[in-house]
Amino acid sequence: LVDASLVRAAIDIAMFFGLYVTIAMALNFQYGNAGVPNMGSAVSVAFGAYVVSGICLRLMYVIGMKAGIEIGPDYVYDNLVNVANMNTYFSKHPLLGIALFLFAMTMGLVLGTLFGYVVSLPAIRLRSTYLMITMIAMSEASQIIGRNYVPISGGTLGVRIPNVFAFYSGDRSLLLAIITLAVGLVSFFVFKNMLNSPYGRLMRSLRENEVTLNSVGKNAIGIRRNILMFSSGITSLIGVLLVFYFSFSTATNYTMSNFTYWPWLMLMVGGPGNNTGTFLGAFLVIAMRRLITIYKWEINQFFWFPIAFLEQVILGVVLLVILMFKPEGLIPEKALHIRGIDYNKIIEEDIRIDWKQEKKRAGESKQGIMDKIKSVIKITHKN
Amino acid sequence: MSAIVYSSLLAMLCIGYTLTYIISKIPNFAHGTYAGIGVYIAYTITNTLGLNPYLSCPFGFIIGGIVGVIIYSLVVKTLKNMGGGAVVLTISTLAIQIVMNALINIYATFLRMRSGNWAYMFFLKMHDFKLFGYQGIIYVSTILCISIVILLHFFLNKTKMGVAMRCTAEDPNLAEILGINSDRIQLMAWFITGGIATLAGTLFPLWFESSPTTGDRLINACMAGSLLGGINNIYGAIIGAFILGMAEILGTTWLMYTFGTGVGEYRYIIPLVAVIIVLFVQPEGVPWLLNKIKTRIKGSEE
Repeated sequence: LVDASLVRAAIDIAMFFGLYVTIAMALNFQYGNAGVPNMGSAVSVAFGAYVVSGICLRLMYVIGMKAGIEIGPDYVYDNLVNVANMNTYFSKHPLLGIALFLFAMTMGLVLGTLFGYVVSLPAIRLRSTYLMITMIAMSEASQIIGRNYVPISGGTLGVRIPNVFAFYSGDRSLLLAIITLAVGLVSFFVFKNMLNSPYGRLMRSLRENEVTLNSVGKNAIGIRRNILMFSSGITSLIGVLLVFYFSFSTATNYTMSNFTYWPWLMLMVGGPGNNTGTFLGAFLVIAMRRLITIYKWEINQFFWFPIAFLEQVILGVVLLVILMFKPEGLIPEKALHIRGIDYNKIIEEDIRIDWKQEKKRAGESKQGIMDKIKSVIKITHKN
Repeated sequence: MSAIVYSSLLAMLCIGYTLTYIISKIPNFAHGTYAGIGVYIAYTITNTLGLNPYLSCPFGFIIGGIVGVIIYSLVVKTLKNMGGGAVVLTISTLAIQIVMNALINIYATFLRMRSGNWAYMFFLKMHDFKLFGYQGIIYVSTILCISIVILLHFFLNKTKMGVAMRCTAEDPNLAEILGINSDRIQLMAWFITGGIATLAGTLFPLWFESSPTTGDRLINACMAGSLLGGINNIYGAIIGAFILGMAEILGTTWLMYTFGTGVGEYRYIIPLVAVIIVLFVQPEGVPWLLNKIKTRIKGSEE
């Protein structure tokens, strides 16, 4: 009926869309709404992946050993045999597989949040550019540690992860794609509701003016820490899903370029401060990237160099062009819509003037005062 | 020996990085990539054209300066005029870094296609001259570093342009009121920093193994050195670079003797850890420490 490769491509795009849109929304939550330029989403993704490969994989081995499966002692070199054994075991015990998957997701979320707290300790007191430098340094450090410290992710060789959906005879990635899209959708509503909450408005005020926020007695550092923790948890969850999708974990997957710069590009294309825009940006960028990856061989006929560099050039140039010519993105940020509150009405109510008094005092015509009020309203709208 | 060469080159990079930060108030992530360009200029001059590697120095300076000017006038100036904040400008330098890295990689692939030589991992040690039994690069890098520091000191303190540059760094608006063309000053600063960084890059492959990722690796060390020296101080940057360069090479060697060679892999983590620690403990870096010691000595004298 339909070409199998096309179905595969559609699943692939859907999966990556689910993954990246969540990361980009978490970034939007931090940068677009709270003005915290987090350049370290790659650290959280890597951490989530290491939770699976370092903790959950060992737990699976322990369960397997209790059930009487032969598990080789070496973490890296016996990995393939162990995973094959575990797969046959999981195909007979579907509930256990699903339970382990849910456990991994919970662990990713909880430990990722704790990890966000640890990361925020040095980063929290710093403002914009210093924060960026620290986060970039941390991403590089996580790369180096992941590559060289074998027990967490198998070093440069990487480790395979057992297929927890082994009972399902069809395409495993279809299940994961559905789960990931569901996670993306849930986090979309969570973020949306959080933005409309009082705390969300607090975040926007943090972005606009930190000094004012401090002066009215709010703890700006605490807000920033909470934001970092929350989004670190969600990004770690994405790391967990990513590892289950690849069935494979290696540190070189979680590069800055993949998990920091590309999500930032999506955020910038869609427009910061706007989740709908992030959806659009993520879809455009992911579709382009996956199509380039799928038709790599055909495209590479035209160039003498590997296509990966072309991708990087596109990434940088598009980012620059967006920054220079359309800094508000494809869909600009709108004023928050809160049910039952009409902003225009509030503005009108605020400036209520006794016309007779005003005329006497200022000696101005009605028209002049009207113009003044209009300019005031314009300024309020802009802000 | 390795530590001296590395520290001198790092100091040259850190000076430029600090100067950019002082004048334009942004951390320039594309700064290490200038060195990457320098590395490939040296490769082209030496391996493709078959000339002396030191000939690449002046070329490197001029080409790097032009690249700096292009970056400033095309991107940074436009964004500044649009009212982009420090975060937006930093993101733009990151984008420039990505693009330039990719272009360097593409150029390396092109070189390999043209000459059939392996252009990804190389060093040019064998093309260097020898003096008193040591490689010439040791003398050249040290002398060049010291002379650049002296020249820059002279430039900033004695010439009209340099004084204007310091004025712009202190307060751009006030400087413009006084009739200083701050745009031209910034252009000059970007030219100088780009030139010096690329110059350091051309000397890099004479001692160290170089690859297209050299620039990426150097930017971390460069940031760490500048932060260690207190990011607002050019002379501090030199101290910071030397401390960091020594720590990176001598420290790693010492650790490898103590804990085995496995530690050597973690060499590139040292600048990153330094960045985090400096920002966490005291963002003003070493000058703060020196000042404290100075005041303590003075206090005891009184």
